[in-house]
Amino acid sequence: MSDIIDYLDYEIPSLIVERVDPNKMKTMAAILRDPYPVHWDKDANATLGLEGRVINQGPLNLSYIANMLIAWQGPSCIKRLQARFLKPVLDGDTVIAAGKIIEIIDHEKARVRARVWLSRDNEIVLEGEAEIQLSA
Amino acid sequence: MIVPAEDMLKLKGLKFPGGSMKIEHWENWLLTDCTGSAQLPSNIVHPIALFHIPIQGVGTSIAELFALGQVEGAGSVGLEGYDWEYFSLLHEDVEYCFEGEVIEVERVQTKSGGVFDRFVFSIELSTVRGDPVAKVTNSWRFWRMK
Repeated sequence: MSDIIDYLDYEIPSLIVERVDPNKMKTMAAILRDPYPVHWDKDANATLGLEGRVINQGPLNLSYIANMLIAWQGPSCIKRLQARFLKPVLDGDTVIAAGKIIEIIDHEKARVRARVWLSRDNEIVLEGEAEIQLSA
Repeated sequence: MIVPAEDMLKLKGLKFPGGSMKIEHWENWLLTDCTGSAQLPSNIVHPIALFHIPIQGVGTSIAELFALGQVEGAGSVGLEGYDWEYFSLLHEDVEYCFEGEVIEVERVQTKSGGVFDRFVFSIELSTVRGDPVAKVTNSWRFWRMK
């Protein structure tokens, strides 16, 4: 785009996670030293009515947003991430990370703000905002 | 029996020990792989490391935070939100310094009769020279009744 103002209302190319993988959750739990069983013990979730499924870690849900932004503008583009977690994401789910530019923060520095969200079956499970440094 | 509100409210202002640490290559590699991303160039740490690295770097752990919240078992903890600011890129095998504290604790009753404690903590990362690198603010829910 020739001018940064042209980015306003631009829809960031979405990122599809075809199948949230429970094995990634197990590795993630080990990396995080996370003792919370909902991420790796299906039996522990029986009382939650999840029918033998496990819950993806919040950071992994947010990582799909980060990966979408990185794929679009490179690994140094993220300046701020704000997220609200609305619904759990379970193993086997298909989720889509998406975003739209809603504000030009700084013309000189080419910094913009995007509304970002993660959805499953057209239901938003995570939403927030990101400040992004556009690449030259 | 529900954890007394005063037990939780007194946690506001609690400072974590603080400290310093490096993010090792193997850990960043596995973390990045878990996200489904290709490895980032130039030993850049995946931005999602701002969840667990600050917690470890400040000298605590998820288990210790759960203990502070007096929660245990499936369904006892929920995420509300994150606010993560990146002032510079993080790289593998670079020493970073960490300091932080619990900045808010609030007992909340939901419209459906549930009760949880909102537990908010903030951690700042800097270089060993004191230059700011990142700041994270995380808000969790410790459920008392659903």
